[in-house]
Amino acid sequence: MFKLSKDSEEFVKKELTRYETTYSAIIPALFRVQKENGWVPPEAVPALSQLMKIPEAHINEVLYFYTMFNKKPVGKLHVQVCTNISCAMNGGRELAESLCKTFNVKEGAVSNDGKITISRVECLGSCGTAPMMQVNDRYLENLTPELAVRQLKEMGA
Amino acid sequence: MPKLKINGKDVEVPQGSTIIQAFKASGVEICHYCWHPGLSVAGVCRLCMVQIEGIPKLQIACNTEVKEGMVVNNTAQGVQETVKWGLDFHLINHPLDCPICDQAGECGLQDQYMQFGQYDPQMAEHKVKKHKVIDLGPTVVLDSERCILCSRCVRFMDEVSKTHELGIFNRGDRSEIGTVEGKPLANNYSLNTVDICPVGALTSKDFRFRQRVWYLKEADSICPGCSTGCNVKVSYNEEGLWRIKPRENKEVNGYWMCDVGRDSYKFVNLKGRLLGGRVGRRGSWQDVDVVDAARSAGLKLRETVEKFGPDSVALVLTGQFTNEEYKDLLGFFVSNLKSKNVFHWLNNPDKVNEFDGLLFRGDRNPNTKGLVGAMIAAGVSGKWESLQSGLAGKKIKLVLVAGPENQAVFPDLEEKVKFLGQAESLVWMTSGTSTVLDQVMAETWQIPLKTYIEKAGSFTTYQGKVQSFKLGTTIVAQALNLSEVAELLAGRDLNWNLRPGGVGGVKVNYSTAQRGAL
Amino acid sequence: MGQTRLLTEHYDKPEFQKLDGYKKHGGYAVLPKALGMDPKAITEQVKASGLRGRGGAGFPTGTKWSFLPANGEPRYLLCNADEGEPGTFKDRLMMERAPHQLIEGMIISAFAIASKKSYIYVRGEYDYSKAVLRTALDEAYQAGYLGKNILGSGFDHDMDVYSGAGAYICGEETGMISSLEGLKGQPKLKPPFPAVKGYLRKPTIVNNVETLAAVKYIIRDGGAAYRKYGTEKSPGTKLFSVSGSVVKPGNIEVPLGMPLKDIIFDLCGGLKPGRKLKAVIPGGSSAPVLTADEAMKAAMDYECLAQMGSMLGSGAIIVIDDSHSMVDLLQVTLHFYHHESCGQCTPCREGTGWISKILHDIVAGHAETKDIDLVKKISEQMMGKTICALSDAAAMPAISFVTKFRSEFEQHIQAAKSASGGLHHA
Repeated sequence: MFKLSKDSEEFVKKELTRYETTYSAIIPALFRVQKENGWVPPEAVPALSQLMKIPEAHINEVLYFYTMFNKKPVGKLHVQVCTNISCAMNGGRELAESLCKTFNVKEGAVSNDGKITISRVECLGSCGTAPMMQVNDRYLENLTPELAVRQLKEMGA
Repeated sequence: MPKLKINGKDVEVPQGSTIIQAFKASGVEICHYCWHPGLSVAGVCRLCMVQIEGIPKLQIACNTEVKEGMVVNNTAQGVQETVKWGLDFHLINHPLDCPICDQAGECGLQDQYMQFGQYDPQMAEHKVKKHKVIDLGPTVVLDSERCILCSRCVRFMDEVSKTHELGIFNRGDRSEIGTVEGKPLANNYSLNTVDICPVGALTSKDFRFRQRVWYLKEADSICPGCSTGCNVKVSYNEEGLWRIKPRENKEVNGYWMCDVGRDSYKFVNLKGRLLGGRVGRRGSWQDVDVVDAARSAGLKLRETVEKFGPDSVALVLTGQFTNEEYKDLLGFFVSNLKSKNVFHWLNNPDKVNEFDGLLFRGDRNPNTKGLVGAMIAAGVSGKWESLQSGLAGKKIKLVLVAGPENQAVFPDLEEKVKFLGQAESLVWMTSGTSTVLDQVMAETWQIPLKTYIEKAGSFTTYQGKVQSFKLGTTIVAQALNLSEVAELLAGRDLNWNLRPGGVGGVKVNYSTAQRGAL
Repeated sequence: MGQTRLLTEHYDKPEFQKLDGYKKHGGYAVLPKALGMDPKAITEQVKASGLRGRGGAGFPTGTKWSFLPANGEPRYLLCNADEGEPGTFKDRLMMERAPHQLIEGMIISAFAIASKKSYIYVRGEYDYSKAVLRTALDEAYQAGYLGKNILGSGFDHDMDVYSGAGAYICGEETGMISSLEGLKGQPKLKPPFPAVKGYLRKPTIVNNVETLAAVKYIIRDGGAAYRKYGTEKSPGTKLFSVSGSVVKPGNIEVPLGMPLKDIIFDLCGGLKPGRKLKAVIPGGSSAPVLTADEAMKAAMDYECLAQMGSMLGSGAIIVIDDSHSMVDLLQVTLHFYHHESCGQCTPCREGTGWISKILHDIVAGHAETKDIDLVKKISEQMMGKTICALSDAAAMPAISFVTKFRSEFEQHIQAAKSASGGLHHA
């Protein structure tokens, strides 16, 4: 049974009054749920709907519109490799492929030990340090496949 | 009132109108999907493009306000090409479902494609696959592949029914309409989304796969489901009625109707209808021609009055009949027979003043106001207690009943049949059969009546607005309306051109048969 | 010929990120001056400076501010920090190194337009920027630069940071407004324009990070001084994000009008040894591509690039050398627009998917030469027909790539056909 933690409930309640409209609190609330659970389970939507007094369909629309919300569980390290134009020119796609091979996990899937998910994403605003990737909240830049693997292993992959 | 030119034609519109409203007012066709006069402007289909003199880029007509002196056209080559490509964009991922899609024959995409010359599509890629046959709720089925994402249904849920069950999830061409698990599309206005969906993405569970629309005709009528009196149109063919849709009426129902009202075609169809006159008692019936049944009932009625006086007969009316029928029947009963025993059978007095805030009212009769008015005009106001005492004390010997055609909203039907069946004679006039009548001791006549579709007349709404409607179609050939029954009860003949058909719905040329052999 | 560090002067000092370090280098010295001016005078200075929106559209900032109606409605200032245009990473630099510079510029701008509330809408992925900004806001509030009666001027102003959640379309001003309102980040129909009816249907000014930071310097030195840099129609300095095939990618600040070749070869280390210049995208992936010849002649200002059929855009210069396939890069680019289309209006939603799929087919060797023309035709029909410019942003690279590098596309298709023995996927 999905339940919002007491702290998160308080957080969401505060966010409801922080902005000019309660609807603005949806994005912060979903991020909070994701922080606690690693992803946003579908049951979170009716739970938030009740707490925030906002229709479920509305919250679900926001959840499914933005890419940063994980609609499925991800590994402890969510590795998002940029493969847009500048990074593609500097080996971003090859980096993603080689990481999948090294950690033996299919793109987008959770590794068997639950530690890592590797996916390709669009421009992260770090084109000058290509190729690069975002691991959970951090940017790891100026990578080579070896460097990337080393840093991920240091982070617990 | 700004004036503008549309394709060279002068048009004048109210201040604040948009160009698309001007097109609609002037009757000039303009391609559009997402705009609907009853909903907010979305401007997403991008098909209602027009060329406005002095503005280099084409503009959408639905979001551009009319300014005095505007010169607008949608026939220029550039506009036509844009609209053709706009249509193409709508079609590139649209599944070729026409052979199995209910919308075929009344589909926006089909209509536009036929207009633009049936060109060869250049899309050779794999189409986007989405979910099909999704149960959105008790009444509506969704096919996401067919959906053109006009957002009319979502806007309806947000702005009209205000129930917010629908959303558009995902981005880009992965977008899909949907509900959230645990909150299905289940409100009393859900089927309006099927009406406004330009394509076969939203279909009615009730109508799905049952009939092709090109085999259907339409007739205008008034919904008998409650005292609001939504304007409707009924789709029918020789097999009967298939569905009801709302008709626009800005004063009464806007563009919508409720789901409950849409079921009111079911009691019109043959199943459950009384097909001809029946005479008998205690479940043993003899089928007779309706005219004969009415005549013999009328004989008994007039005899009873002659023998025991006008107080020995009673007329019980439900608010389900037309103003014209009430006038004629009361005219016979009150002026002719001189009886004041007229009683109003109200089926749900405790719910009469309920209102859901949109269209649906607790008074489940289309013409309660008309009935009340007719009774006042005839100077009668029977108290139910005197009917009760009259029956108990055997003073009332014959009861004439205009029973409900919409039996589903009369939960007290069984109880009332038994109550009224206490009399010696019972003339039960109704459109549908009722097995409860099998238990009645009284000598009973069942007279088949026409439903609202099968007659012309008028209903008065809860507000006092009189709405007339014409005859739609005939389902039961033997059925009569109350005016005709009144003629026969009075011992007169029907007009030669009001010829009910033979028993069972087969039409017979009555007047010739009546004339007898040469 | 080096950089002109007007805005970025102290970016190399880590202390500049914090309030004390910022103040040590002239921080919050312009704010008191501005608060002592007539707000209208501030707008006049911005108009006089000729400052144009640095986010991509290049619309004159002072003019945009003057569109606000005098109807007494509360006004909002929204800082667009949803930097999503591929190739662009300048706003991130500005927020991470100099949050107070942005804040000061915003307070001055808010004062000019009589706004009591502003938001910095930061793209969700910029976690560090968000943290830096939030800390900076706390510092600013504590020091009395925000809140009630700022520096005793009688001007109240509140500022907050709002996080996006991963959508390029939220960089479109009305898409951003929708997102801030708690809706999906889908752009709104224009008219009405945000200055008249924006955030919550109230008059709203949306400006880019760099634009708002520049306001401080315009008020510090005066509008005329700003014009000392750049060209007549494109005055001032601009941060350009340079990436791709250059040896020294990164952000640089130079006067508008600097020749593109100087930026590539003098400031950014040129190309790798043995490589030749093939193409340059001058203003983010939405800008039509320039051939090497065109790039060598281009000057980085709004007019010159517009005349060449391209645009300055966000100022993201993506340099492409001859080791890259234009077919491949167009595929990557169109995949992006397909992924980012919000899905509201039909030509974009369906068109971005269609041309992306055709490019995949071309790359994979399943296409015909006529598909090149089809991409062009579809793209032309996607332009000028939609609620926002994403559709145009996808169409412009498509048209420019297949037109200017047509022979490469044709060769690619022919090579693939020969390799597969003439068989192709239907």
